[in-house]
Parts: sequence; C-alpha cells; structure tokens
Amino acid sequence: MIKLMNRLPRLFSQSLQAAVAFKTRAFFCILSVALGIASVILIVAAMEGAYVKAFDVVEKFGPDSVMVTGGDRQLRATGNVEKTITLDDLAAIKESFPEGYVVNPVVTIGTSRVSYKSRKFQTHLVGVGEDYSIAWSWPLVQGRGIIRNDIIGIKNVGVIGQYLAKELFGENNPVGKYIFIKGFPVRVIGILQRKGMTPNGQNLDNRILIPLTTAMKKVQNEKKYISAIKVRFSDQARVNYYVEELEDFLKKRHKLLPGARSDFTTISPKEIVVFLVTLTGTLILFIGTSGIISLFVAGFVIANLFLLSVKERSQEIGIRRALGASQGDIILQFLGESVILTTLGGIAGSLLGFFSSKLFSAVADFPMHFSWKGFAAGLLLSSLVGILSGIQPSLVAARLNPVEAMTK
Amino acid sequence: MPLCVMENVSKSYRLATENVKVLKGINLKIESGDFIAVMGVSGSGKTTLMNIMGCLDVPTSGRFVFLNRETSGLTDDDLSVIRNKHIGFVFQNFYLLPYATVLENILLPTIYSSENTGRAKKNAIELLHLVGLESRMNFKPSQLSGGQQQRVAIARALINGPDLILADEPTGQLDSETSKEIISLLTEMHKIGKTVIIVTHDPDIADCADRLIRINDGIVGD
Repeated sequence: MIKLMNRLPRLFSQSLQAAVAFKTRAFFCILSVALGIASVILIVAAMEGAYVKAFDVVEKFGPDSVMVTGGDRQLRATGNVEKTITLDDLAAIKESFPEGYVVNPVVTIGTSRVSYKSRKFQTHLVGVGEDYSIAWSWPLVQGRGIIRNDIIGIKNVGVIGQYLAKELFGENNPVGKYIFIKGFPVRVIGILQRKGMTPNGQNLDNRILIPLTTAMKKVQNEKKYISAIKVRFSDQARVNYYVEELEDFLKKRHKLLPGARSDFTTISPKEIVVFLVTLTGTLILFIGTSGIISLFVAGFVIANLFLLSVKERSQEIGIRRALGASQGDIILQFLGESVILTTLGGIAGSLLGFFSSKLFSAVADFPMHFSWKGFAAGLLLSSLVGILSGIQPSLVAARLNPVEAMTK
Repeated sequence: MPLCVMENVSKSYRLATENVKVLKGINLKIESGDFIAVMGVSGSGKTTLMNIMGCLDVPTSGRFVFLNRETSGLTDDDLSVIRNKHIGFVFQNFYLLPYATVLENILLPTIYSSENTGRAKKNAIELLHLVGLESRMNFKPSQLSGGQQQRVAIARALINGPDLILADEPTGQLDSETSKEIISLLTEMHKIGKTVIIVTHDPDIADCADRLIRINDGIVGD
C-alpha cells in the first residue's frame, strides 16, 4: 500500500497520458460533466446572488426597520392602496413604542408635474415627517432638511433628489430657488444624497420631499389618513418581535376580529429576504434538478465509456500487468483517468457556468453572484463523479487475466 | 542454486464442461546463465509453460520454484513484483503501447518499481544506444519497422535488470534478415550473463541456443 502511494505521481502521469491519448472518450467525458457542472455553478451563483441582493435591499431599507402601509397584501398586489393608517395611529405608535427611536409618517402622492422657469419634469412627490432623513438613512449633500417648524407652519419648502436637480437646474445651484408643484410654489431647501435605482426600476433620485402637513392640506386636502409609517427600533436583534407587537397593537386599534382580513401590511427585513429568496428559489429548483440529473447521466455515460475503453485496451492492461503492474496500479491508473477527465469537465463547466451566469444577469437582470464557493463545489462534484463512475470499470480492468487480456 | 525449478508441473483448464490438461507433469531445472530454446508444435503446451515460467500463471499441481520461492503460494501482488524485477518479456507481437513514445515504452516497467526516475531515464537511453535506436526515442511505435519495434521491446525487457529474459516467438513477425539481428541481440544478452529462454518454431534459431527443450503434448520430449 505504501509502495503504491510512492508511485502515485508516476501512475498519475500514466493516467494523464492515456486521458489525452483517447480523444473521443475525453471529449464526451468532458462535455457531459461540463453541462452538469455549469448548472451547479449557475445554482450556486443564483443562490448567492439572491442572498447578496436581499442583504443589499435590507441594508437600504434598514435592518432595524419596519414599515406599515394601508391595505392588506392582496389589495396591494392589485395596485390599489387603501387608506387605513391615520395620524392618530402615528401618535399612538410614538407613545406606545418607546423602543422605536424613529417613527416617521409618509404620504405618497405619486407622479406629479414640477416646473422651474420653462423646464417641466415628472417626479415622485412625497410628504414626510421631520425624521425622514434618519428613517430612510438618507442624508443631504447640500442645504438643510425639513424641520419641525416647516411641519408645524405647513411651509412651502422641499428637498429634492439629485436626478431631479439635474433635470430642472442643470449645473446651477437649486437651493433657495422656487419650483412649482401643482400650481403652488415650493422653495428648494436641500438636496438628497444619490441613492440609485430600486430593484423594480424606479429611480429613487427623481423625487421631491415636502412637509407632511403641506402634502396633506395643500395637495391632498386630507385631514386624517397617511400612506405609511416607518419605525426603526433601537434593538436590531429584536426587530422581528417588535413587528409582531406592532401588528397586534394596530389590529386592536383598528378593532379587527381575530382571523379577519387585515387592513394594513407590515414590511420587515425578514419578509424582504424571504420574498427575494423564494423568487430565486423556483429557478434554483429548476436548474438544480436538471443539473443533478445531468450529472447522473454524465456519470453513467462516463462509466460506460470507460467500460468500453477497458475492453478496447485490454491488450494494454495485459502488457502493463506482464511488466509488473499490480491490480492496485491498474485501478489507480483508470480511476486517475476518469478523475482527470471529469475534473477537466468540471473546469470547463465552471467557465461555462460563469459566462452563462453573466449572460443571465445581463439579459434577465437576475441577481447572480459568482464566488470561489461555486467553483470549489463544481470541482469537488466533478471529481466525485469521476471516482464514482470510474470505480466499476477500473475494477473490471484490474481483474482481467493478464495472459488472456494480452492475447485478445 | 538454480534460477528456477519445475517439479511435476501440471496445468489444466476448464473449457465448458471439459477439463483440458495442457501440461502433464513437467520436470525442468534452469540454471542462471542458461541459453535455452523451447520448441514444440502449436497446442503442445509451450505457451502455457512460458506463462508459468514468466509468473503470469501458476501450476494446477506440482511445484514451480522461482528464485527459491514457490509461485503457487504467492499473492497476485508478489507475482507482479517478481515479473517487474526479475523477468523481461519479449513477445511475438512486440506489445508496445501505441500512444506512448519509444522512450516511454522502454520506461514502462520502471513505473511499477521503486527505481529513481532520473536514473531510470539514463538507463533507458543507454539501452537505446545498445539496440541502436537512440535517434528514434521520441517516435511512436507505428513509425518504426517491425524489427525496430522488437528492439524497443528488448530494451524494455532489460530496463529493470532482470535475471531471466523470456522471448515468446520473438521473430515470428519478422523477415529472416531482421530475425538474425534480433537473435544476435538475444545472444549478446546471454553473453553478458542473462538467462535467456526463447520459444520458437525455427530450428535455425534453436541451434543458436546451448540447450533445447522439446515440448510434445504437455510433456518434455527428447
């Protein structure tokens, strides 16, 4: 056994030589493994992509945050927004949840036309409370934010996103200038930091924030209802617990019977992760199943190719045995050949998987994350396929009678 | 001490339901440095005799003792080691690996021994000089003539410094001119002290040997 180990490097070079000498066999072994491994690489990239993206979205949303919006989930899915959250809810939450260090109301008015001098542009109009900057982790790069005085005084002031600033003002400084929204003037007091696009393609930098009171009284003529409340909790680890508490609290306030349809929806970091990961899950299941099947098929193809090869090369086996190869030497040589070929298939498959995952994310905007883990899993799986499919043929080879094998 | 001894060696094969007895009690003693020709018609059992002498097979009954060890009691691994270290084979059909070069073919037995790779390569090149093929060491067997291929096979048989060279019809595939070259090469091996056994049909080749063993229907004749 120890002697066998000592000549392992030399046996490996024999395997390598034979692996490349039989080109048709090499081609089909590599091809069949490559297809399976490529799909494994795709799965790993998709899984990691889903988690990276979920983490990214949660990071933007705030891992200690929860958002409450009007209407239940089914209604939201149809695009309707039911107004059920009130200013009283806001005040009650502020009072009953001292752990919520930020409780910020939001009024979404939606796409509105704004203009500066002769320039006109469609933008997203939102009414916010004084803590929006902390609530959304969204600092200013210029000017000041909306403060308590602006809200109490129902001031005509606004903070704008960078995209809108560029569209309306070009290279000029917008702070201090007046723009018109729905016919009334609003003074620009600050500019938000760049935030980019949402996963569903909304440009977050094309927006204007105005005081909540201004939005309700002057735009909506609304006294009671707001669109949503965002709460951030000081103890991030317990955020799931607070979400449940908050749901119970609002159900009681809204006098909902147990089991009745909820009239509000909470969005928590946990739900975001679950949602994004399930979205990817179906694809993973599909590619995963076909990947595993194709690896199985590859294993059988290789086992049969090697059995044929053993038959074809029985003279070689006989010669090697006559010259002093033990049965162990023959087993190691043939196992070596199959592992070399499947590992080459694994490398080819990894490259194929890498490029097709790039293609996938480019064409379908699907989150893909390629890492060494996928590559390692691919190589490990491919050599495993090599060992499993190589065992039977190499045992057949080793058990051949040297004399009969040689003279065949 | 004789190199190998056969005492009442029999070998039978099971063919379907019939038991075919190929060797029927052979007694032989081969001394180190012998130069022996084995003759017999086909079916006489001479190939089976060669296989037993080459430790490729073991007797059904009787004793075959090679270098003081009875082969019937040895494992497959032990027999492999004996073939590797002590026996050099030369076959009628050369039996070179088609995908390996001349040099790689000569080095084949060293893969399975503990010979140092660098030294093995040096030995192989010396042997290539001996058989006059140093200029062809990177050729594939298919690029060589039959005679050249057999010379490669002889170099391969010598690479691990064997005690016994077993040549089974070494000139069977060669023309008479080339046959003479091969036989003179084997005679040289005998002259440097190797034990050489040639199985042949050809009485002229048998005449070169010091001793002739005739096999007739599974027994040693005169």
